[in-house]
Amino acid sequence: MNVIEIKNLTKTYGKARGITNISFNVEEGEIFGFIGPNGAGKSTTIRTLLSLIYPTGGSAKIFGKDCIESAHEIAKDIGYLPSEVFYYDNMKVMDLLKYSASFYKKDCWKRIMELAEIMDLDLNKKIDDLSLGNKKKVGIVQGLLHDPKLIILDEPTSGLDPLMQQKFFELLEQVNKKGATILFSSHILSEVQRLCDRVAIIKEGQIVQVEKISILKENNHKKFKIETKEKISPAFFQLAGVNNVEAHDDTISFLFRGDINTVMRKMAEIDIVNLWIEEPDLEEIFMHYYVKEA
Amino acid sequence: MNIFLYELKAYRKSTLVWTFSLLAIVTMFMSFYPSISKDIDQFTKLLEGFPEPVRKAFGLQLDNMGTIMGFYSYMFLYLTLCGAIQGMNLGISVLSKETRDKTADFLLTKPVTRVNILTAKLMATAVSLILTNAVYMIGAGMMASQVKTEDYSMKIFVMISLTLLFIQLIFLVLGLLLSVLFARIKSVLTVSLGVVFCFFFIGMLAATGGDEAKRFLSPFKYFDTAYIIEHSSYEAPYLLAGIGIIAASLITSYIAYMKKDIHAG
Repeated sequence: MNVIEIKNLTKTYGKARGITNISFNVEEGEIFGFIGPNGAGKSTTIRTLLSLIYPTGGSAKIFGKDCIESAHEIAKDIGYLPSEVFYYDNMKVMDLLKYSASFYKKDCWKRIMELAEIMDLDLNKKIDDLSLGNKKKVGIVQGLLHDPKLIILDEPTSGLDPLMQQKFFELLEQVNKKGATILFSSHILSEVQRLCDRVAIIKEGQIVQVEKISILKENNHKKFKIETKEKISPAFFQLAGVNNVEAHDDTISFLFRGDINTVMRKMAEIDIVNLWIEEPDLEEIFMHYYVKEA
Repeated sequence: MNIFLYELKAYRKSTLVWTFSLLAIVTMFMSFYPSISKDIDQFTKLLEGFPEPVRKAFGLQLDNMGTIMGFYSYMFLYLTLCGAIQGMNLGISVLSKETRDKTADFLLTKPVTRVNILTAKLMATAVSLILTNAVYMIGAGMMASQVKTEDYSMKIFVMISLTLLFIQLIFLVLGLLLSVLFARIKSVLTVSLGVVFCFFFIGMLAATGGDEAKRFLSPFKYFDTAYIIEHSSYEAPYLLAGIGIIAASLITSYIAYMKKDIHAG
């Protein structure tokens, strides 16, 4: 079942670019990454899903209901953590969380205590006095306290120290195991690689690709570096799928994409001293989506 | 209900401050009354020295300055000026403070409709204003009965005092309308002072002319205290104009707020 269905979603603001014809689905129970550089349209898409802004074209459904018409109904089961958290300053953390919980018709108190414990959050402090990281924690607890079925995170990790980030990811994995679907927007690739099952890549307001992380990695180049006894001419590796051949003295390196056996057979013909085959990291995979076409 | 209570609590401090300011003004003015009413003949002579348009602009009505209701209605002009600022401040803040404090995301992603949010918030501001007026009216009533030199009609006193609430409500919805239509209001006080004083001066000008139609231009002139004292009633066309402004501003604000895009910080 699809928890989120986005169809041809478009939002234009006068001259400024918004998003154009965005379509993708997020299935129940998955952690879906939404990745792209700053200003690509991630927040615009998310804010439309939350009906904070209204689309100029297309539609989006959450839990099968139109996300504009049924916004307040859907919101019962959504937990949202914005990239910048600012809450009513002259409140204590506890009062804010109570206020937040008062919108949901269930008792959230036990969950608040659990979450505060996990995130190491002092409930008696004034929000005014909290550091950025601690405000972020308030945001996290606030977003999860009603056990939402769908959690929408817009660049959630900024301001969290690595230890807290780790705890936060563990927390997300935990609620995901219990059945929550997560939409995780980020421009930090390692986060997405660590958490997500699938990703949508957005660039300049358009979806470039929606793919499983594992497939993205499989489909991509492998980096070969071979050290040989004798110098080999770059022409030797003229095979389909080989790119960027570089030869220096007795090493030769290239990128390869395709059936790995063909390269292996070719390599068997030469005398090898050492061999490196590397998986490119996501960084390198995404880089070619990121770089603007010249 | 939770939004209403939260908002009411948030306005607690400013409501107290405004209420006490209004009380302080009325106490101060009223404490002048005994000495003015004693020397009213000389006082009238002094004021006659001013040209009539100036007197009208400042709301000075010579024939009843010596009565407590006449004196009260003269100073009341300045109370409504204060009250209008309070109303306008509230009206502008209702929605714009959520944008300024970036709490709009918090509130609008909760399972409530925008209509309910706006209604709850407006109810809280209206209750703040009503409380201000209730306390004010009791305080002003006590002060008036302390300094009175002759009996006065309680009905007229209440009717004059009630116009403060009317004027505040008009400025409340005007403020709301401004904040919905103009995306970002950085400084509430500057805008509200500007608008309120603008209407106040328009009101002063309208008062000098004697052209009744001009009075429609400024909510400050919708309730003519001299008329109220004389007829014990409000003037229907202006009362309707006030109600019309409130209704139209509310409807426009609701529609605009429903359709508005809420942008991040």
